[in-house]
Amino acid sequence: MIVRSTKLGLDEKERFMLFLIAPAAIVLACFEIIPILIGMNASFRDWSLVNPQRTWVGLKQYVAVFTDPVFLKIVLPNTFLLMTASVGLSLAFGLALASLLNRPFFGRAVVRTIILLPLTIAPVITATMIRWSFNDQFGVITNFLSYLGLADIGWLSDRWPSFALVIMTDIWIWTPWFTIILLAALQGLPPEPFEAARIDAATPWCIFRRITMPMLRPVIIVCVLIRAIDAFRTFDQVWILTGGGPARSTEVFSVYTYVLAFVDLDIGRGAAAAGVGAIIMLFVGGVLYKLVNRSVEVSR
Amino acid sequence: MIALALDGLRRAIFAISIVAIFVLFVGPIMILGVTSVRPASGAFYIWRGTNFTLNNFVEVLHQSQVLEAMWNSFVLSTLATILSLGITVGSGYMLSRFGGWIQRSWFATIYVFRTVPYISWVLPLYLVNTRLGIYDSYLGLLLPHIAVHVCFFSWLMKGFFDGVNPSMEYAALIDGCTRWGAFCRVALPAAMPGIAALAILCWLSTWNEFLFALILSGKRTPLITSTMAQFVTETGTEWNLMSATAVLAMLPALLVTIFGQKYVIRGLRM
Amino acid sequence: MAQIVLHDVVKKYGTFQVVHEVNLNIADGEFVVLVGPSGCGKSTTLRMIAGLESISAGTLRIGNKVVNDVPPKDRDIAMVFQNYALYQHMTVFDNLAFGLRNRKVPEMEIRSEVTRATQMLGLEPLLARKPFQLSGGQQQRVALGRCIVRRPQVFLFDEPLSNLDAKLRAQMRIEIKALRERVPTTSVYVTHDQVEAMTLGDRVVVMKDGWIQQIGTPLEVYNRPANRFVASFIGAPAMNFMEVELVEEHGVVSAQAKDFKVELPDEQAAVLRKHSAKTVTLGIRPEQIRLGMPSGNTGSSFSGVVTVTEQLGSELVIALNVADSTIMASRISPETGVSPHARVQMWVDGKALQFFDHENGKAITCAPCTLR
Repeated sequence: MIVRSTKLGLDEKERFMLFLIAPAAIVLACFEIIPILIGMNASFRDWSLVNPQRTWVGLKQYVAVFTDPVFLKIVLPNTFLLMTASVGLSLAFGLALASLLNRPFFGRAVVRTIILLPLTIAPVITATMIRWSFNDQFGVITNFLSYLGLADIGWLSDRWPSFALVIMTDIWIWTPWFTIILLAALQGLPPEPFEAARIDAATPWCIFRRITMPMLRPVIIVCVLIRAIDAFRTFDQVWILTGGGPARSTEVFSVYTYVLAFVDLDIGRGAAAAGVGAIIMLFVGGVLYKLVNRSVEVSR
Repeated sequence: MIALALDGLRRAIFAISIVAIFVLFVGPIMILGVTSVRPASGAFYIWRGTNFTLNNFVEVLHQSQVLEAMWNSFVLSTLATILSLGITVGSGYMLSRFGGWIQRSWFATIYVFRTVPYISWVLPLYLVNTRLGIYDSYLGLLLPHIAVHVCFFSWLMKGFFDGVNPSMEYAALIDGCTRWGAFCRVALPAAMPGIAALAILCWLSTWNEFLFALILSGKRTPLITSTMAQFVTETGTEWNLMSATAVLAMLPALLVTIFGQKYVIRGLRM
Repeated sequence: MAQIVLHDVVKKYGTFQVVHEVNLNIADGEFVVLVGPSGCGKSTTLRMIAGLESISAGTLRIGNKVVNDVPPKDRDIAMVFQNYALYQHMTVFDNLAFGLRNRKVPEMEIRSEVTRATQMLGLEPLLARKPFQLSGGQQQRVALGRCIVRRPQVFLFDEPLSNLDAKLRAQMRIEIKALRERVPTTSVYVTHDQVEAMTLGDRVVVMKDGWIQQIGTPLEVYNRPANRFVASFIGAPAMNFMEVELVEEHGVVSAQAKDFKVELPDEQAAVLRKHSAKTVTLGIRPEQIRLGMPSGNTGSSFSGVVTVTEQLGSELVIALNVADSTIMASRISPETGVSPHARVQMWVDGKALQFFDHENGKAITCAPCTLR
């Protein structure tokens, strides 16, 4: 192998490896990489559907995005708030649910089926039903809350209640995902450390903190990585629930970009925003990957 | 006595949590379901009144767009599932079984492009599709739906093959198979349970997908999610009809959850 | 059938060399066992012969043909894996027939070949089952059958018995041995178990850290280990080692340590005389140590304190403290009444002693082959 690879040619094994990835690589190149390049090209131009001149304007669009107070003061904070709140809380709830379900009890199969529902139902539908349940006049939950004396919350008309609703919807969707994976991980843990801890008279909380958590750590870290990356591109729930409103106050990155390109029809600016998002995510993704690699190694 | 009381308390808390799970996860779906069987006037304040009707479903199904959208989504999901799995299975196998610079660089590529937000490449893809004249067509929707799965599925497939002992393939190589033969005839059947689970999840996620549908489909090839979104954002008042559409769109998810639960869980475990 | 020749075969991963210039000639029909601790390169060497690992340097011949770049399927070999590697989704019959079908053998012939193998291994009742319905021993038999049906030039075994429990392992060892009489194909067998190496091999290749330590018949590596590593690896309980000083007094060479002195017979002395006044490592096999006083004139006696006794029923193994080091003595009559802390008198035949260089561990003399 050493001898042959110095000759620059590929050996039989390497040719087979390339053959295996070829279809995936070609599709990836044509429908992801090339569009990204085209998008980068578009982001340097003044290109809107009302003014299709496509004049080269250099970094003007990027400057416009980075000096846009909506982007800096609302979109970025919202996006990262959604990311941390959703991932953190779904993880916490998921962990709690997984520990709760990690024992036999009557009706466990039913509960397991129920918690799968949020995962299989389209986020669009979920957002629709949450929006309907929190309708300010007819929503079942709004009416129930006003019955409890909580009538004055403008669920879909004030910034923070709206955004809280977005986060809650995201948590509703993703808690089951954490639950299922963590439950599987819990069931896969060897019983001996737990038996040893019980013999050593450890309290349940102590067992959870000192034994369960460290053993689940690699799984948790990978889950958080996947979810954090996905949370950044949240679009469906926000778009259906609030449409970014009221007054753009709940816009997140994907909605902001979508609005620029397809509502304001400013392709150039939209492409620049998309580029900024990609760069941010590459950076965040890189940092997360480093962290994951290190901590997974440590906990091994 | 105290121990007994504590035990009772623990049981009570446990029971309450289980009930809470039911209410939290089933409640919103029930609200939607009940709305969908209320007549137009009864859709408001759904907890009052006892009129129930299936007219909403009839009315929705009479709108050709909804039926068409469901059919389109069905075809698209099926094709996208077959093709996505088809092209990522080899990639996952390579990631699992081989090492060296090719494997490392492909793995890095997949990771990098997994982090890129969808909007960042679907936006320019809209330009590509209109330029190529495949905007709002099956092809124009199908190819991006496959591309979106390349990164994550390659990674999941790697996991499936990691769970298969490679010595079976070594035995096949010695038994007269080529590398390709060992992959197709030995590794692939062994990884099949995982792949089947992934197929179901892939089908559902394509059916449920919204952003691509919103940007890349229009009047000619409507999809179920974008059609529903129009109900919500444009009409916004006919909640009974909208709920009926949502319930229809939810059917595959319900079926899979009830009958294919095993596969969903297996697929999610990675 | 064919001979296998490895000439300066090297395996490197990047710059890390795991197998160093292996030279080995395996004769037609010979059964060679590669043995060594884990990570010694024995499996890598086997996988290079199989074609599952590329060869970094050197040449490999199977039946006079250089096969460095021949893919495994064209090497005409068969292999048994540690975890059996049966095709999980196929029945036993299909597992056995898989290799033949790949070679486009007519179905009739496949049937008769499979029948031959199943009869040999007693697999007839299992043909329609899938691997997960079989016990470990049955699975391993199917794996053996898969090799037999092919009638290959070479059999390769990669620790085939290490997943079995001790009892089954002993049974399968005998079956492999019996099979070998009926199917005398050139075989390379990798194991970390020295008992398998001794019982199965025509010749044994002891490896460590990617280097071959010694090649020889089982008796040769047992009686004349080339170095301290081979001596300690082959034989159970392991050989005892002591640091001793060679002293020549009045023409008699003796090995001495604190409270310990054995006189060497003339054959040994002739070689060791030139090392006199030097420190060397003395090796004594536990089974050569006997209790009581010497019976012949070549025996030397010494004494030690018993620390632990292990009663095995068939024999007694005792650990003793002699000259500040712990040594084991085995094959003591089980009826012997020794108890811990007792000082006992032992003797050993001088011819049975082995000496190794203190620095590099190489053997200085070798005991004659015939003892006991």
